[in-house]
Amino acid sequence: MKTLTQVPVGTQVFFGNAAKHRRRVEKLIYTVLKRWNYQEIIPPIFDYYDVFSRGMGSESEATLYRFFDREGNLLALRPEFTSLIAKTVATRLLDWPKPLRLCYSGDVFRYEAPRGGRQREFFQLGIENIGGKKVSCDAEVIQIAMESLQRIGIKEFQFNLGEMGFFSGLIKKIGISTVDLKHIKNLMELKDSIGLAGRMKQLNLSTKNKNVLYSLLNLTGKSKVISSARHLVTNEQSMIALENLESLYNKLKRQKLSKHLTIDLSGVRGLDYYTGIVFKIYVPGSGFEVGSGGRYDNLLKNFGCDLPSVGFTFYLERLMPFFLK
Amino acid sequence: MKHSGKIKSKEIISIALSKGRLFEEVLKLFKNVNIELIDSKIGSRKLVLQDREKNFQFFLLKPVDVPTYVEYGVADVGIAGRDVLLESKADIHLPLDLKIGRCSMVVAGISGTAKEDYRELSAVRIATKYPRITTEYFTQRGVPVEIIYLSGSVELAPVLGLAERIVDLVSTGQTLADNGLQIIEKICDISACLVVNRASYQIKHRAITGLIELLEKSSPSIKS
Repeated sequence: MKTLTQVPVGTQVFFGNAAKHRRRVEKLIYTVLKRWNYQEIIPPIFDYYDVFSRGMGSESEATLYRFFDREGNLLALRPEFTSLIAKTVATRLLDWPKPLRLCYSGDVFRYEAPRGGRQREFFQLGIENIGGKKVSCDAEVIQIAMESLQRIGIKEFQFNLGEMGFFSGLIKKIGISTVDLKHIKNLMELKDSIGLAGRMKQLNLSTKNKNVLYSLLNLTGKSKVISSARHLVTNEQSMIALENLESLYNKLKRQKLSKHLTIDLSGVRGLDYYTGIVFKIYVPGSGFEVGSGGRYDNLLKNFGCDLPSVGFTFYLERLMPFFLK
Repeated sequence: MKHSGKIKSKEIISIALSKGRLFEEVLKLFKNVNIELIDSKIGSRKLVLQDREKNFQFFLLKPVDVPTYVEYGVADVGIAGRDVLLESKADIHLPLDLKIGRCSMVVAGISGTAKEDYRELSAVRIATKYPRITTEYFTQRGVPVEIIYLSGSVELAPVLGLAERIVDLVSTGQTLADNGLQIIEKICDISACLVVNRASYQIKHRAITGLIELLEKSSPSIKS
């Protein structure tokens, strides 16, 4: 038996200034969220396993902390908030006026090797915008995330935008098995051209399709990326995705926020529930993203209600080093 | 070919390098694009170096530590062999194959042993410096393996009966031959890659893509 003074891997204690600053950051960001009329929602820490597993995709599913209750139901600790909020909206808040603007904060749990500034228990703070108009809500959510960063004194940051629909449309047209797709998505995300070439050699793809997948790796940069991407695809879903991305970019540009934006159409990894715009938030010197978000138009269908939604979350532990810096 | 036009002076890029087998070749690559390191003599003990125009900062590390420094963003960019990168599984971008330091990752065993015979064993004992690559390769083929981790002189293991096979890097095959071993299967080609921290790639996008373009032009073209 381990001694009582040992600490389980992936847990942390905060005290002194660290505890004080965490509360302060949380409070400051909440003032921004309140001003945008986001209402707090406090979901349970555990729920049925299926609530979380459905939207996550098999790889992330493996990171759930699972356990049985005495009736034999399979439960899990929350690995994120979005599924829980989607479930609540689809059941309890169905007749509330839309769009719903909700915010939350609390610990989440993932059974992963502590690496890259993240523990097994870590703190998320975020918002969900449910049932609103597409591009304007996407812009709203991004603007709120930017304001929140500024509110806690972080002036330099970069939002990296992608569009899941662009890649989905492309893949549907090409036709790749789910197993191969998983590998390709991963290689794309790493921008690993050699790995991608090796993997594609084993696949029965036309040279044209191979070249298209290959060129995705270069689709990173400013708004010019969108026009280069238009030359690569003809399918409707991808074209609509590019249109959405462009109007979102232009909307944020009008707010003079485009200097904080980069576009990356090869960033295709992430929780399975994302369907449209996705973004990751970077701060100079952070090494990892300090937050992420995106559009998840199909998640609420799992719970019997069809509403388009978008949201983001900050990883508080990763933000803390830049507060007061 | 001047780089100073493309790279903003205030954005210094930090680059993690290893002083191993790649070092000389990497220096040559940089020199080709007018990036000259000061004090880079082999005998020097300095671990942090600069280029003449002070656009870059270089950290000299052990090869296996390069992906770690880059993953945590302490270095924006790194250069490491693909063997090290595959083994580390670091979550970083690998946008460029530098095509230097080329060799292969192979399965080897005592000369004369047939290719397929490990399939008849219930488990194969494999000595290697690359436990992750080895496990992945064999489990994908449905072969259970017992990994014996060694940190050097891996070729000795089959000779002395510690393991039936080894997984290791091979360039000329001379060391294998000298120890009575032969290549049984090739796992993959290995060469040096440029790796980039995920956050740096977005935050210093212009400077980093500028560097990638320069090095792409400077690296040798594949001859095969």
